[in-house]
Amino acid sequence: MIDIRGVQKSFKNTVVLRGVNLTVEEGETVALIGSSGSGKSTLLRCINLLETPDHGSITIGDYKFKAHDISRHTKKEVRKRTGMVFQNFGLFENKTALENVTEALIIVQKKKKAEAIEIGRYYLDKVGMINRADYYPIALSGGQKQRVAIARALALNPQIILFDEPTSALDPELVQEVLHVIKQASDEKMTMLIVTHEMDFAREVADKVAFMDEGVVLEAAPPEKLFFHPEHERTKQFIDRYMQRFSYSI
Amino acid sequence: MGKIFDVEFMIEIIPDILKGIPYTMTLAVISFIVGLFIGLIGALIKIYKVPVLRFITGVYVSFFRGTPLIVQILLFYYGIPILLRIINQRFGTSFDVSGVPAMVFMLVAFSVSSGAYLTESIRAAIISVDKGQLESAYSVGMNTTQAMIRIVLPQAVKVALPVFANFFIGLLKDTSLAFAASVTEIMGQAKIEAGRASRFFEAYIDAALIYWAICIIFEFLVVRMERNVRKNERGMEK
Repeated sequence: MIDIRGVQKSFKNTVVLRGVNLTVEEGETVALIGSSGSGKSTLLRCINLLETPDHGSITIGDYKFKAHDISRHTKKEVRKRTGMVFQNFGLFENKTALENVTEALIIVQKKKKAEAIEIGRYYLDKVGMINRADYYPIALSGGQKQRVAIARALALNPQIILFDEPTSALDPELVQEVLHVIKQASDEKMTMLIVTHEMDFAREVADKVAFMDEGVVLEAAPPEKLFFHPEHERTKQFIDRYMQRFSYSI
Repeated sequence: MGKIFDVEFMIEIIPDILKGIPYTMTLAVISFIVGLFIGLIGALIKIYKVPVLRFITGVYVSFFRGTPLIVQILLFYYGIPILLRIINQRFGTSFDVSGVPAMVFMLVAFSVSSGAYLTESIRAAIISVDKGQLESAYSVGMNTTQAMIRIVLPQAVKVALPVFANFFIGLLKDTSLAFAASVTEIMGQAKIEAGRASRFFEAYIDAALIYWAICIIFEFLVVRMERNVRKNERGMEK
């Protein structure tokens, strides 16, 4: 379970988060939608402390921290409990697919190499990448890289995985294979917070959809409610615009 | 009237000039390795903008890149004895300057000078590694040291290797300036032989060929090393 309370973040003079509240229950998949610049990615990065929030508190499972009290120890504890999948994959370029998965198991979780390899192969198999285990990222397609990145996050067995627009950098025909893997993790009750522009995917996979606008979560509700009966006018506008975008015919 | 160009003499003195190789190689290799350490520390200070140290590093790099190596060599050669005398005077110690071989002064001079150049090369190599690599290392729970050693530096080395190789070749040849501090490296030996028979051209030709040969061997080694650090570009582990 993660609970975000009153999180604020500014960069120099730009206020990005104006007090975000959001809860993700254990085993729940929450899709975070909203226009560019609404603060979705920044929120995600504040959760695992790639950015330091200015105010507020965040609870991840049994660990709670406050914005004004973040030490090296806090970061360590937070990152132990969170996994992240980046838009641009972020695979270690100097490591093979398998090494990408096993690296943190060995270096951070101090597992024996043989055990790490066993875990690594298990998760690569799960995302359908076992036959590319010895390939370096340079030799993988975007979709393949992202699947390895998801395997890397899953293998660490975090309490939540944060997805930062996992399919935005992919060629259209590669999107499905990645969404498929994410759906699979969702079906297995992995707790996940996904920033996405794939509305159909959000509708199909998410237990809850949260709409962010101008630095706050304006509303969060089950997909059917949020997409078809939103409470706020702003949410409705955003969703209408999105639906419209796909109704053009050429 | 003697010969205009004495081939026999040129060949005859080769073994004597070769005696300088251990000095040349020691100077080049040790200064390079120490320079790498200094450079790495300097680069990290600059990248992480460490207060105070950052300023000192800036001045250090600026000075040693902005003054000719021969001037630095002479400054160390004459400066260290003066420094030791001051220390002796102030603290009542009795370091004996004359007991320290010139080679040690030169090792210090070349290391410090190399460190200044390598600080900038290493800094450039590290910042050339995509910032996302560091972030994803953090995201899987690594601390900065682990991320640097396991992820960022190996990728930086790939970028830096050609620059390092280029620098090392330059350094190897620059060690010839150490003869100014009476170190009998290749150039020092050549000068001695040249003076002995007043046949300068022959001796210097030898020196040139020896430097060149060493550099050819080194270039060959670098090609192999590069193949090794670029193994990820082959696509897969064999």
